[in-house]
Amino acid sequence: MVRARPRFRLPFSPWHLVLVPATIVLLFPFVWLVLTSLETSGEALHFPPLLTPHVLKLSNYPAAWHSAPFGRFFINSTVVAVTTVLSNLVLCSLAGYAFARLRFLGRGLLFATIMATLMVPFQVTMIPQFIITKWLGVNVLAGVGINHIGALILPNAATAFGVFFLRQFFRTLPLEYEESARVDGASRLRVLWRIVLPLSAPALATLAALTFLDSWNSFLWPLIAVDSTNQMTLPLGLATFQGAHSTEWPLLMAGNVMSLTPMLVIFFVAQRYFVRSVAATGLAGT
Amino acid sequence: MASHRARVRVAWSLVAALALAVAGCGTGSGGGGSSGAIQIWEGYTGAEAKAFAHLLTKYQHEHGVQVTSLYVNNDNTLQKVLTAVRGGSPPDIAYLYGSWAPNVAQIPQVVTLTKAVQKPGVNWDDFWVGERDVATVNGRVIGIPALVDNLAVVYNKTLFARAGLPDPSPDWSWAQFQSDAKKLTSPAIKQFGTAYVTPGTEDTVWHWEALLWEAGGHLLTPDNKRAAFDSKAGLASLNTLKTMAVTDKSMYLDPTDSAYANLFNSGHIGMLVTGPWDLSAFPNVHYGVQVMPSYPGTGGGHQTISGPDNWVIFNNGSSRVAQAQKFLLWLTAPAQVRYFSLRTGDLPIRRSVADSAGFDQQMDTALPDVSAFINNLNNVRQARPQIPQYPKISTILGTMIVSVLLGKSQPQAALTSAAQQVNQALGG
Amino acid sequence: MAAVRAPAPPRARASSRTRVTPRARAAEQFTGWGFVTPGVAIILLFGAVPIIWSAIMSFQRNNLLSAHTPFVGLRNYRQLVHDPVVASAIGHTLTYTALFVPGTMLVGLLLAVAMNRKIRFISVYRTAAYATMAISTISEALVFIWLFDPSYGIVNYALHLVGIPQQQFLNSPSEALFVIVIMTIWGWTGFAVVIYLAALQGVPPGLIEAAAIDGAGPWRTFRRVTLPLLSPASLFLAVWLTINALQLFDEVYLSTQGGPLHATTVLVYYLYYQAFQNFDFGYASAIAYFLFVVIIVITAIQFRVGRRFTYYRS
Repeated sequence: MVRARPRFRLPFSPWHLVLVPATIVLLFPFVWLVLTSLETSGEALHFPPLLTPHVLKLSNYPAAWHSAPFGRFFINSTVVAVTTVLSNLVLCSLAGYAFARLRFLGRGLLFATIMATLMVPFQVTMIPQFIITKWLGVNVLAGVGINHIGALILPNAATAFGVFFLRQFFRTLPLEYEESARVDGASRLRVLWRIVLPLSAPALATLAALTFLDSWNSFLWPLIAVDSTNQMTLPLGLATFQGAHSTEWPLLMAGNVMSLTPMLVIFFVAQRYFVRSVAATGLAGT
Repeated sequence: MASHRARVRVAWSLVAALALAVAGCGTGSGGGGSSGAIQIWEGYTGAEAKAFAHLLTKYQHEHGVQVTSLYVNNDNTLQKVLTAVRGGSPPDIAYLYGSWAPNVAQIPQVVTLTKAVQKPGVNWDDFWVGERDVATVNGRVIGIPALVDNLAVVYNKTLFARAGLPDPSPDWSWAQFQSDAKKLTSPAIKQFGTAYVTPGTEDTVWHWEALLWEAGGHLLTPDNKRAAFDSKAGLASLNTLKTMAVTDKSMYLDPTDSAYANLFNSGHIGMLVTGPWDLSAFPNVHYGVQVMPSYPGTGGGHQTISGPDNWVIFNNGSSRVAQAQKFLLWLTAPAQVRYFSLRTGDLPIRRSVADSAGFDQQMDTALPDVSAFINNLNNVRQARPQIPQYPKISTILGTMIVSVLLGKSQPQAALTSAAQQVNQALGG
Repeated sequence: MAAVRAPAPPRARASSRTRVTPRARAAEQFTGWGFVTPGVAIILLFGAVPIIWSAIMSFQRNNLLSAHTPFVGLRNYRQLVHDPVVASAIGHTLTYTALFVPGTMLVGLLLAVAMNRKIRFISVYRTAAYATMAISTISEALVFIWLFDPSYGIVNYALHLVGIPQQQFLNSPSEALFVIVIMTIWGWTGFAVVIYLAALQGVPPGLIEAAAIDGAGPWRTFRRVTLPLLSPASLFLAVWLTINALQLFDEVYLSTQGGPLHATTVLVYYLYYQAFQNFDFGYASAIAYFLFVVIIVITAIQFRVGRRFTYYRS
C-alpha cells in the first residue's frame, strides 16, 4: 500500500493531539469528583470548588463505606446488574434477530408497539408499574414483588432499547453467512447461536456495557420499589449522603468513586471486545 | 473468539444468577412486618441520622416495639408516598414537607390526629404556633410537628469589619441592609453583599414573603379568596429586591440553589437570608446571626417566616396506627426533643425545651449562634396560606420575583400581572 | 471509485429467492413468534400496560390523593391546548432536541473515528468516553453549574480572555437552555462513541484500502465508504437520542428547575411539576400522551427518511 510520506514525523501518532484534549474535557468532572472525595467537609464547602485539598483525606473512603451497609448495596447492585445484562443479551438477541430476519404475522406492528413503550416518561408509568409489580409479588412469585431484588430485575429483563439496538445491528450483517448455513440445513436457532452471535461480538459487548451501566445507575424505580435498607442498591445508598438541606459532599463523592470504579474497570477490560478483527472470526476473505 | 464452551458458560451463569437473585430475595421483608413493628420513612443524614437511629434503639429498649426506618430524600418522599398509597402499601409514618399538608390531607389513608393531640400529657400548645398551623388543615390535625425553622440574616463578621461596617443591630431596617450590601459589594474581588435564589420555586417565594410581611403586607385576603399582595407593602418589598439585584448589583443570583451557601462559606458574600440548617455549612466563616430587618412605620416589625414539616401517619390497620401514634408522641416529647436538638443543632420543636435553663448556651456550644434562630421563633406571627392551590400561586409568585430580579419587568407591573393570575387561580 | 471486491462469502451466492414452501413459511411464523415472545412479553407487561393505564388516567380528574377520580372526558386535553406554558415547553423541547441530537452525533462520530485505532493509551481514551455516561447526573450538573457560573466560572473567564463580555448563562432566559444542551452533549458523548465504535467494526478494512489504492483521499473515503456503512448506526443514534431528548428531565430538575422564567421548562419537567407539585395527575397524563404522539410522529418520520439514506449490506 502506497502512502504519501509525511515530511514531518512526530514521535507519536498525531491522533494523540486530538484525543488528549478531548479526554481532558471528558474526564474533567471526574477530576473534580475524585478531588472532592479527598477533601475535608470544610474544604468541600467552597465555591468555586477548591481543587487543591491540603491533605488527601483517604479516610473518607472507609468512612463512607461504614456509614451504611455498602457491602450489601454493592451485592444487590451487582446481582441486579449482572442478571439484567445476561437476561437482556439472551432475550434481546432472540427478539432482535426475529425482528431483523424472520417474517411473521404482526412483526411490524409488534416492533412499533415495543418502540412505543420508550416514548412515555417514567413519572407517568411508575405508578401502574408499581401496582403490576406488587400484584406479581402477591400472585405469581414473591421474589419479583415489591421490596425484592427480582422487582428491580424483571421490568428491565428485556428492554425495547436492547431489541431495537440488536435488530439494527443484525440487519447490517451480510445475509450470505446465514443463508449458506440455512441451505446446509441449520435451524434458525443454530444460525443465531453459531453464526450471527459470534459475528456480533462488538454489538453484544456494547449492549452489555450499556445495559450494565443503566442498571447500575438506576435510581427512580429502585426508590419506588424498595422498602427496606437491606434491599437498597448503590444509588439509593449514595442518596443517604444527600439530605434535602445538607449534603456530606466528601463522603458522597467517595461513595460515587467507589460506585464508578467497577463500571470503569469492566469497561476498560471489555473494550477490546468492542473492536474485533474480521480475521478472528474465520470468515474473512482477502 | 467466542467459543462454544464460553457461550455455554454464559448460559449457565445466567441460570445461576437468576437462582441467586430469587434466593437472595428471601431476606427482603416488606415494610414493618409482624410483631407490631412499624416503618417510618425519613430523610435524615449525617448527625440527624445518627441521633434518630439512637432514638429508635432507645424506643425499642423502653417499649419493646421495633421501629424500622427507611431513608428517602425529603424531596423524593412525595413521589414514593403517592405511589405507595396508590399501590395500597403506604408506610406507617412518613416525613412530609409542611407545604404539602393541604394536599396530603386529602389522602384517605391519612390518619386524623385531632383527638390524639388533645390528650393529657401531649401539651399541643407547647408546639410553636407555626407548626400547629401547618399540621392542621381545615381544623383537622393531620400531622405531628417534625421540624421547625425560620429565616434570619447570617452575616460574615470578617467582611463587615474589613468594610468598616458595624454589625447589624436588632432594630435594623431594610434600607440599612441595602446600604450594607452595597458597601460589601466589590466586583474587582468578585464579592457580593448578599444573594438570592432564583429557580422560581417556593424557595424563591418564601424569602420574599418574609419581606412582604415585614412591610406590613399580606399574601391573600383573610378568606384566602383574593390576592392582597398587590399593595404598598408588595411594592416596597419588590423594590428592595430590585434595587439590590438590578441597580446596586449587590445581589448574587443563584438560579440553581446550589452555589450560594458555598459562596458564603468561601467569604464571597457578605450577608445571607437563610435558616438554621445552613449554619453547619459555614465552618470557614466567622459568622453572626441577626433578626430580619424591618420596614419602619409599617407595623410589620422584624417578623419572619417559618417552614415546619410534619410526621404523617397512614392507616395500615388500627394496631399499627396506635403504635405509630404512641411512637410519635414519644419522639416529640420534651426529653427526646431536647436530646435531638442538642445533638443536631435543629431548632427544638417545643417551646418548653427552648425556654429551659441553659438550653441556648448548650446549643450555641455545638452550633454557634443557633440560639438567635431559636429566639427568632418568637417573631413568627403568621403562616403561608394552607390551601390546596398554594403550589399554583407559588409558581406565579416565583415568576414575578425572578422577572423583577432579572430586570425583565418593573415591580408594579409584575405585581399587577401576578395578582391577576392568582385571582384566576383562586377563583377558577 | 472502481469496483471493490468485498470479502468473499463462503459459498457462491445462491439465487436470492429460493422457493419457500408453505411448510417452511409456517415454521418461520412459529419460530418468529417463539423468538420474540419472552422478551416482548416482559416489555409489554411493564411498558405497554402502564401506558394504557396512564391513557385512562388522562381522561380523569385525578390528583393522586383521593380515591375519587371522575371521568372528565377531554377536559385535560382542552386545558393542554390553552396552556401557554405547554406551548413554550414544546418550543423549548424541540429546540433542545434539534441542537442536542446532531451535536452529540457529530462529537461522537469524530471521537469514535479517532478512537478506532491501536495506538498507545487507546484503552484509556475509550474508557474516558464511556466514563461520561457512568457519572451520576448530580455530579455532572454540579460541575457544569460551576463551569458556567457567571461570576466564578471558567467559561466566562475564558471568554473574558478573548474579550467577550460576561455572559449570564443559567441566569439568562435566552442562554440557559444552551447550557443544558452542552451539559447533556457532554453526558451522552460516550454513548455515541460506543455505538459508532461498534459500527465502525463493520467497515471492512479491505474496502478502505481498496479506496486508497484507487487514489481516494482520506476525507473522500470517509464520505463515500465509511459514512454510508455507518448509516444504520446513525439512524439508530438519531432515533434513540431524539426519543431521549424529547423526554429530557433529570438535568433540568437538578439545575434550573425549569427556570429562569420557564426558559428551560421542557415537557417532561412540566408534567412532573403538574403531577407532583400541583397534584394534577390527570393533566400530567394528558401532557405525557401529547408528548407520546409527538415522539411517535417524529420517530416515524426519522425511520421513513432513514430508509432512503441507510445502507444495509444485506
